[in-house]
Amino acid sequence: MDLLGFARGPALKVAIAIFCLGVAWRIVGFGLLRIRRDLNKPRAPIAKYLVGGLVAVGSRSWPHREFIGRTGAGEALGYSYHLGLFAVVLLFGPHIAFLGSLFGITWPGLPSSLITVISVLTLTLFVAVLFRRVTNPVMRMLSNFDDYFSWLVTMLVLVTGLAATAHFGAAYQTLLALHILSVDLLLVWFPFGKLMHAFYIFPSRALNGAILARKGATS
Amino acid sequence: MSTPAAGVPASLAPAENRSREARVAGAMSGFAQEIGALSAFRLESCIHCGICADACHFYIATEDPQYTPIWKVEPFKQAYKREASAFAPLFRLLGLKREVTAEQLAQWQHLLFDSCNMCGRCSLICPMGIDVAALIEQGRHAMFDAGLAPKELYLKAQHQRATGQPESSAEPYREQLLAIGERFGVQIPLDRPEADVMLCVPRTDIEHYPAAVAALARVMQHVGAKCTFRSDGLVAENYGYYAGGKDWQREISRRLIDQAIACKAQILLVPECGHAYAALRWEAADLYGKPLPFKVLQVTEYLAAQLQAGRLQLKATAVGAATFQDPCESARKGGINDAPRALMRAMGIELHEMKNHGGFSFCCGGGGGVLDIERAAPLRYRTMENKLREIDDTGAATFLTSCSDCRRTFDDARAHFDWQKTPHSLLELVADNLIGAGSPA
Amino acid sequence: MTARASSEITVGEMLRRHGISRRGFIKYCSAAASAMALPPSMGVAMAEQLRNAPRPSVVYLSFQECTGCLESLTRSFAPTIENLIFNIISLDYDDTLMAAAGDAAESARNKAMQDNFGKYVLLVDGSVPTGAGGGYCTAGGRSAVDTLREAAKGAAAIVCVGTCSAFGGIPFADPNPTGAWPVTAIVGDKPIINVSGCPPIPEVITGTLLQFVTTGKVPDLDEHLRPKVFFGNTIHDRCYRRPFFDEGKFAKSFDDEGARNGWCLYELGCKGPTTYNACATLKWNGGTSFPIESGHGCLGCSEPGFWDKGSFYAAQSAAAWGKAGEAAPLQVLKLTAAAAAAGAVLGTASAGVGRLRQHRGEQDAVDRESKGD
Repeated sequence: MDLLGFARGPALKVAIAIFCLGVAWRIVGFGLLRIRRDLNKPRAPIAKYLVGGLVAVGSRSWPHREFIGRTGAGEALGYSYHLGLFAVVLLFGPHIAFLGSLFGITWPGLPSSLITVISVLTLTLFVAVLFRRVTNPVMRMLSNFDDYFSWLVTMLVLVTGLAATAHFGAAYQTLLALHILSVDLLLVWFPFGKLMHAFYIFPSRALNGAILARKGATS
Repeated sequence: MSTPAAGVPASLAPAENRSREARVAGAMSGFAQEIGALSAFRLESCIHCGICADACHFYIATEDPQYTPIWKVEPFKQAYKREASAFAPLFRLLGLKREVTAEQLAQWQHLLFDSCNMCGRCSLICPMGIDVAALIEQGRHAMFDAGLAPKELYLKAQHQRATGQPESSAEPYREQLLAIGERFGVQIPLDRPEADVMLCVPRTDIEHYPAAVAALARVMQHVGAKCTFRSDGLVAENYGYYAGGKDWQREISRRLIDQAIACKAQILLVPECGHAYAALRWEAADLYGKPLPFKVLQVTEYLAAQLQAGRLQLKATAVGAATFQDPCESARKGGINDAPRALMRAMGIELHEMKNHGGFSFCCGGGGGVLDIERAAPLRYRTMENKLREIDDTGAATFLTSCSDCRRTFDDARAHFDWQKTPHSLLELVADNLIGAGSPA
Repeated sequence: MTARASSEITVGEMLRRHGISRRGFIKYCSAAASAMALPPSMGVAMAEQLRNAPRPSVVYLSFQECTGCLESLTRSFAPTIENLIFNIISLDYDDTLMAAAGDAAESARNKAMQDNFGKYVLLVDGSVPTGAGGGYCTAGGRSAVDTLREAAKGAAAIVCVGTCSAFGGIPFADPNPTGAWPVTAIVGDKPIINVSGCPPIPEVITGTLLQFVTTGKVPDLDEHLRPKVFFGNTIHDRCYRRPFFDEGKFAKSFDDEGARNGWCLYELGCKGPTTYNACATLKWNGGTSFPIESGHGCLGCSEPGFWDKGSFYAAQSAAAWGKAGEAAPLQVLKLTAAAAAAGAVLGTASAGVGRLRQHRGEQDAVDRESKGD
């Protein structure tokens, strides 16, 4: 079996299995800890605070007016590369074919040349984000192995993908194999680091938003 | 992790003398009690973006990264990951997460107490929706269990739990309350066996702003409420809440709860005090173990309802332009935003909002017990510079608030900064503008 | 075909006999040189070299093959000139083309190998079976393995014509019942050039042969020993349908609107991106067409293991799940569900451990308090 066959075959299978196992383990692992009932009377009827939770899912995507001055640029940077990543992962023909082979559904994509442009932009933003993490005193203090390794793992996927598309540095099969292997690595690392925020973000906003809305508190 | 916090005062001033091991053990069991699915979820969700720092006035004033809100709970996060997270057994086995140390706890006392007003602004900015302020509150619980609550807060909580008063006074508050009634010519209903509304009072008002106490009594008389103070449950503040001692917080709240039940009150009325509202409205039932058999209302929301029902008659005041300080615990965290504004509108006040107002208002700087912590004063003053500027920038001559601790903090600032404005009580203003009331004393 | 020693008749002599002028021959060589991206001057040099050269001996051995490669070679489209290539070389043995058979054919081969020992070019097509002691492919009572080993001894170079001899090809595919191997697995000590393809393009075979015969040197080879001049680019990189790929316009099924509009066949399993060959440029039948142009995706036939890598109709980037190389969503669902269930069990266990430690921590606190610590 050659490297590409390995990457697309057994390595991918194992990676997906570890991904599902790890994610379930992690979420069930803390989800089954104690849940305390809130016995204080809510200010709002239940419907209202469930709506409050749902609103928070969207509203936290952009800082409140009062915070934009200090935080807008950084948040914009973060969201931008996420949008770039989503576009590249979900709207590139070969990726759609790959996901289609796994899930049995496909959808229309964007022209590949546009995807290349987006990829390069995303890569640039991604490097900028690391630079920011290292130079911003708050982020530097907060950052640990998880932050840097998760960045590296994602970066590898980006870089190998661009290299494969550009046929840069090695035979195409090898580049493609490296790209798929880097995705396998990302899947394996995913449950153990901060990448889990992909699963947490909307439930967290919804839950905390609902709890605040229950009090009528600002959210 | 475990980067030493710079600028930590050398003197620890912890409340209790304990061995290092005992401190760590205390903190760990404290963390253990606090960790549930919800706090776990919050700790899991942090992506180290550092955006919470941009909401915190301690960080904004100093640009010191150690004041990043989520950093204040770093030992809690560490303990969670090591003890209770999904992969905790692996982390322990492979030595991937270190145990929280006594040194860390000592450094973090400064961060959790001196540099946090528990104002909740950080919870508004987190893109992951984490309620950072709630985590900090839990962090304080663990610090308390480690014997690391700051001395000033600890001693007051201890005293209040035992006697009902945070500090001893020349005259018991009960007597002082009655004396205020006499001095201001208003009747003080005390220890009635039955009432619809039970009243309590900030001890800060008893000691420093007696006119506010009189105003409360006067206004309640005006609306014709069947109300009473109760000698055994007089003080609104809860130093157990500040110190992080949950059991003591419970016991302190129990005084008020028991007295409200004893006089069969429908409403427990919280006076002008922010954290008192938070402790009673949003935490007491959980500590008590069952839903409270009465409503908890803060005086502004109570009066706004009375205004709407036509029982509160207000006349226009000559104040003109004013600005208003929303107490963090009752406004941003507590949900009371419209009520004070309804009262001000009814009095014809021209409200000039601060740049950051309502739910986004910056804390006065004294919240969370910080006003009581002596060594925190220099840091507190640094955070207040921006606040005072915002107040001045509104161009309003009058400065109103509905929290006695905010008042104390701003009065303290007047002295320190030679600031020209005086913090006035909204309740006092309401009491001064009742239609059909006798002339205020 | 002649069995006379190749030194007896020069190429120039042969050309003259066939009425090919020197000019015409130089033109052909220049064309061939430019097809190989060699400088035009090489064309003249090649022509001179060839005209004055004794015709080199070439021995063509066929093993486990379908004869498609030989058919391709003889389907060269410009009849007179390319047939002359046959006359430029002295094809001393080819069991399909030669008139002789049996002992006569074998002795002709042996004599040619003897007379030209160390100098003849060995062409091989078909894979070499080693199973059953080599008994799956025998000619004249001798196994392919033995014949190859012997023939390799005196060869100046070995040119593997077709994917079977280059990489094992179809016999080599799972389950490989004959124990088939490519030539490189049998012979190690001679220069080997793999001209892969199933079959290779005629001009690729002749061009490679021509270059070796005229220069005496092995051309630049890639890591699979294929001449880079023909195998240096992927089909994808030279495909005329590439703009459709770049625009994301894919045919979803054969004969749908996209297919009829000539859109990219990526989603129909085209292996163009990972297949190195000259099909998109040189094309087949003298430049008439190639599979993609005819509406079918590239099978990747010039690549090692192309048969097992399958599926021919699943997109290149599809996950390769099982033997057929297809990922069925149902299989994926089963795997993810099983893994998630296992994870949930582990999560329950760790939550249990966590709660236990919490409880112990709380007990410790109570104990410490009662002890007055």
